[in-house]
Amino acid sequence: MPDTRPVEQPEDGRVGVTVDGRAVRVPKGTLVLDAATQAGVHIPVYCAHPKMDPVAVCRMCLVKLSTSPKLQPACATVVSDGMAVETRAPEVVKEQEGVLEFLLLNHPLDCPVCDRGGECDLQDFTQRYGPPTSRFPITEKVHFNKALRLSDRIELDQERCILCWRCTRYYEEITGEKELVLQQRGVHTLVATFNGQPLTSEFQGNLPEVCPVGALTHVRYRFVSRPWDLQRTASICPECSYGCNLNVDSRDFEIKRFASRDNPLVDDMWLCDRGRYSFPRWNSTDRVRRPLVREARGGVPVAVTLAGAVAAAARQLAAVREERGPGAIAVLGSPESTNEELWLLRRLAREVLGTPHLDHQLERFAGLAPAEHDLGIAETEECRAVVVLGEEPEHRAPVLRLRLFKAETKRGVRVHRLPAGTAPAQAVEAVGTGPGLVGVIADETARAGAAEIAAALAAAGATVKRLTVTRGPNGRGAKDLGVTPGLDAGYRAAAEGMSGREILEAAAAGRVGALVMLNGAALAVDGDDRDLLERALASVAVLVAVESRPGPVAQSATVLIPGHSLMEKLGTITSCEGRVQRVRAALPPATATATETGVLSMLAGALGSTGWPSDPIAVHREIVTAVPAYAQAGNGGRALFRGAPA
Amino acid sequence: MSVLSAATRAEVERHRDRYPQARSAVLPSLWALQNQIGHVSPEGMREVSEILGLAPSEVEAVASFYAMYLDRPGGRHHVLVCVNVSCGLRGADDIVAHLERRLGCPSGGTSADGEFTWEHTVECLGACGGAPAMQVDHHFHENLTPERVDAVLEAVRAPSARAGGDRS
Ligand code: SF4
Ligand code: SF4
Ligand code: FES
Repeated sequence: MPDTRPVEQPEDGRVGVTVDGRAVRVPKGTLVLDAATQAGVHIPVYCAHPKMDPVAVCRMCLVKLSTSPKLQPACATVVSDGMAVETRAPEVVKEQEGVLEFLLLNHPLDCPVCDRGGECDLQDFTQRYGPPTSRFPITEKVHFNKALRLSDRIELDQERCILCWRCTRYYEEITGEKELVLQQRGVHTLVATFNGQPLTSEFQGNLPEVCPVGALTHVRYRFVSRPWDLQRTASICPECSYGCNLNVDSRDFEIKRFASRDNPLVDDMWLCDRGRYSFPRWNSTDRVRRPLVREARGGVPVAVTLAGAVAAAARQLAAVREERGPGAIAVLGSPESTNEELWLLRRLAREVLGTPHLDHQLERFAGLAPAEHDLGIAETEECRAVVVLGEEPEHRAPVLRLRLFKAETKRGVRVHRLPAGTAPAQAVEAVGTGPGLVGVIADETARAGAAEIAAALAAAGATVKRLTVTRGPNGRGAKDLGVTPGLDAGYRAAAEGMSGREILEAAAAGRVGALVMLNGAALAVDGDDRDLLERALASVAVLVAVESRPGPVAQSATVLIPGHSLMEKLGTITSCEGRVQRVRAALPPATATATETGVLSMLAGALGSTGWPSDPIAVHREIVTAVPAYAQAGNGGRALFRGAPA
Repeated sequence: MSVLSAATRAEVERHRDRYPQARSAVLPSLWALQNQIGHVSPEGMREVSEILGLAPSEVEAVASFYAMYLDRPGGRHHVLVCVNVSCGLRGADDIVAHLERRLGCPSGGTSADGEFTWEHTVECLGACGGAPAMQVDHHFHENLTPERVDAVLEAVRAPSARAGGDRS
């Protein structure tokens, strides 16, 4: 008789199980699969996915349980107290070999030419758990379409599909768009779209990562590289302010793909197509490569050393300051620079040049306060309701839509999408009165409306938190660190100055003596703004520019210093929710010139302010000393300015 | 232009309202579609999905799973011959061979005159007691011989005979 007396255990909501003899205690309701992972035991899975509900269709994960006479799927069975799990029992091993033999019946012998080779679960598990040979003649395989274009981004090799349902569940559970389904039946089952129509989702790029094999592939990565030839750099998506974590995979100094890097607090492992497929632009070789000086506007550019360029910049700036006062100098950064660069730019403007005219964007943000960035992305799941004003937030930061869908479908959060101009009373009516956490999400153009709605909801009893989707990858960092007129680092009041647009307008009217631009071309992207930028550039006598791309700014600069792209530098950027995350150099620099932080520190020195840090790590140390919220954020945490002066 | 007639539309709506989940109404709604136009066309499925409040992809997934929904236009009459065990033992092979000759096309094909689309079953028709059996436009015909098959096809060609089945 086995001893069935219950063992005394603390009542902590946990149960004790053993997996292949290793004991672990896990919360009640834990899946056998997760308990095994915790015990350090690997169970192969195909249909199971960490972000999706179990379906148990592939049967790869069957294990032997002390509680059941038959093998059970580890991905869909919940542990019970005292359960003994065996993953290497003879019947399990036999079953695993059987499942793999079936999966390989009609699988093509494509590994040598398959994009997924080297990072494929079918290869890996066959190697580890599969039978050594096949009993099935290779000549009798059933054939399907090997290159079915599902869209301009995704191509499906139907022969490689193992029918795990992950892609169809992705569309059902993660995006809700239901574009892919399984059609037909038995050996003829296929992944397909309705009536063969192309996919239209803006989240298709996740499919090849969701697929455990090489069936769903990126059109832009077909036959491009083997995973072991790629150099992987953990960084942050440069496309918007949401801050999705990603891996930059490069080979031979060229970025070949962006791959997702799960941060459950931000991206939850998903990227939008705009971000994922934005990588080619960083491979452009059309770059500013060496320092140039023009002694006067329109003069002949002379190639100089970096030291020569910095000295010329200092000379030209000092002359303007002498002649017309510090107020005649304006400084423009951009939301595409790192915190470290923006910090030194701010110091240069406020401490060295002594000008209040400093900005990182064109629009003036009246009444900018940290409270409008209070709501965390993952916190939306804890809200009772979330109000999204207009289409802009989800348009600018697409992955936000997946988070809201999750909040809605898996956490029961009510998401109210209201037009940007909605009256506060209407918003209250939609959300309902009473307590509970309510989130208000808007983009920067709807800030004022969002503030009114937040106030009305708070008056109606709710605890309200706001999230403002900022522009560029680091618009939030620029604001936190005081690269904005009238506000210094940590949202402390500073002397009033001109906004970005006012600076360009004043320059166009001849009222600015000297302009310092760090990556300034990124500021003015659309037609009218570009026009304004060009008029400003044509009228300003001194233009000191650190710029990485040729263009109007580089052409007009009296001192031009080559800059580095976001893929070539180390630093931090701050996402719209205030998360301070690291970007790392994935490509070698396109120029031998020092980094932006180095250049700014040299320029300060040439203007008489010495002892500045020049490498990003030292600059970051300076930031965390000066801005406590950044010290608290650390690496990857959120910088919050609660209780800071408004 | 809508594919579904007013009557079919009303029938699909009735099916929708009968179940707590619209998904449950997919099968009868597809039948309604096929009964009207003879097969389940993409446009027809899209209209069904709109009435049921489902994604069109979900409706097509169901339609393609079942062998008895036809995915392209066929003949005016649909002939289904059972080849499962009982019918097989009682000579279904001869019936199949006869139909192939008679209609001039293999299983799944349509006769040149556009009258008949025929196929042999995937599974049992459930008429084992009268094997060998076939189903023409949803009506059973049992104890078949090649001669009986000919008679049935002739009768079906004449519209007046279409209403009743033959259970002898
Ligand atoms: S999907 Fe995997 S197993 Fe199949 S061909 Fe590609 S690498 Fe090989
Ligand atoms: S395409 Fe990939 S993800 Fe989709 S069912 Fe097939 S194997 Fe699974
Ligand atoms: S992973 Fe458990 S059945 Fe597929």
